[in-house]
Amino acid sequence: MTLVQLGRVPSEPEASVSLEEGMDFSAVLAETMGVGRALPPPPEWAEPPADLAERARRAMYEISDPEFAISLADLGLIYGVSADETIGVVTVELTFTATACPCTDFIKWDVRDRLLREPGVERVDVEVVWDPPWTTARISARGRRILEDAGIALIT
Amino acid sequence: MTEEGKYSKAADLSEELREHLGSLILVLADNKRLLGMRYSDWILGAPALEAGIACSAMAQDEWGHGRIFYAMLREFGQDPNQLEHGRESPEYRSSELLDGPAAGWTDLLALNLLLDSALSVQFEAMAESRFEPVHYKVSKLLDEERFHFEHGRGWVARLGSTESGREAMQGAFAPVWEACVRWFGPDDDEVARALCDGGITDKDAAGLRARWLERVAPVVESVGLGLAEEDGGAWRSRTEPAWEGWDPDVRRGRGGGPDADTLVRVRGDKNRPLLMD
Repeated sequence: MTLVQLGRVPSEPEASVSLEEGMDFSAVLAETMGVGRALPPPPEWAEPPADLAERARRAMYEISDPEFAISLADLGLIYGVSADETIGVVTVELTFTATACPCTDFIKWDVRDRLLREPGVERVDVEVVWDPPWTTARISARGRRILEDAGIALIT
Repeated sequence: MTEEGKYSKAADLSEELREHLGSLILVLADNKRLLGMRYSDWILGAPALEAGIACSAMAQDEWGHGRIFYAMLREFGQDPNQLEHGRESPEYRSSELLDGPAAGWTDLLALNLLLDSALSVQFEAMAESRFEPVHYKVSKLLDEERFHFEHGRGWVARLGSTESGREAMQGAFAPVWEACVRWFGPDDDEVARALCDGGITDKDAAGLRARWLERVAPVVESVGLGLAEEDGGAWRSRTEPAWEGWDPDVRRGRGGGPDADTLVRVRGDKNRPLLMD
């Protein structure tokens, strides 16, 4: 099992969400709310994607936050991505910007939806963690630039 | 329990601690849920548009916190769905202060400054808890609660600058103050003591009340509400809690529970067919 630990602290998974077959929530969101379309290309990686955990981790740069047009990875919501290639299970530890984030289900659905399209993935487990708490300091330099270009000021 | 004295799940706790902590989490989740409802009553009609927006944000925070802690009760053998949507009024463990809407803005402000802070003090006591599932969630919650406290403090200062504002606050704060002083339980409360001894919390009932006084007394006395006094460097309440009618299991000062209208809204009765998991 390869573990790419970006933050810290696994916690017990919360109630799992189900992805109804054939539902593409990114597309639904893009259509209904106009989000997800303006997402800039992911970073240019030095090497081609290697093992499943690495591919999964990189995929986090392709999923837009429902409110801001930067990726979940750039927003700093992804705390860890691990994979068990033998059974095709990817586990994502992520957090939300606020405990009452109204988009928690959208984000979980989008993560599952994207990873299930990755070759070799049979199941996606999303674990919600709250420690360390998310702050704007977790936004990547790249994410920061994109938000600033869009006129969004960050309070740090 | 692991070597470092941490509990990673409810099943690792002794039966006694598991029962006490499960009960405390339900008390906190219920208070969060009901306090959120009370904030939501004032999203429109507050004295300033900004105050209504703040109430909207605080209501949402409280429900976010409630959602996390109801979900945690699953590992204590309870069904979060039933807890959130299937209970009758007397089964709620929320403070009697939250049974119905705050009558006026100063009443809501008293809940904001005094009761919300009491809940935060109880959570803060678990910031370094040996029970890791709580420990890992508290700092985010307290981050968000800082703004609730600042909101309450700002409004007390604002209203305290006029005689009429101060008078209105005096009337509204006194009963809330009394109930909040009592809410931590008697100094020798055995459950609070056991949780503290077990490393779940870091203070017993007396210690928690003292911490709460330290937080809110300087605010209410900065405008002279006459609820607390400084005594040898420590704050103490001018009124002693009345324990008659106090039920330590549900942490309420009287029987009953949320009123009928509140219950329908808090359980989401009218939306039941639309519930999404």
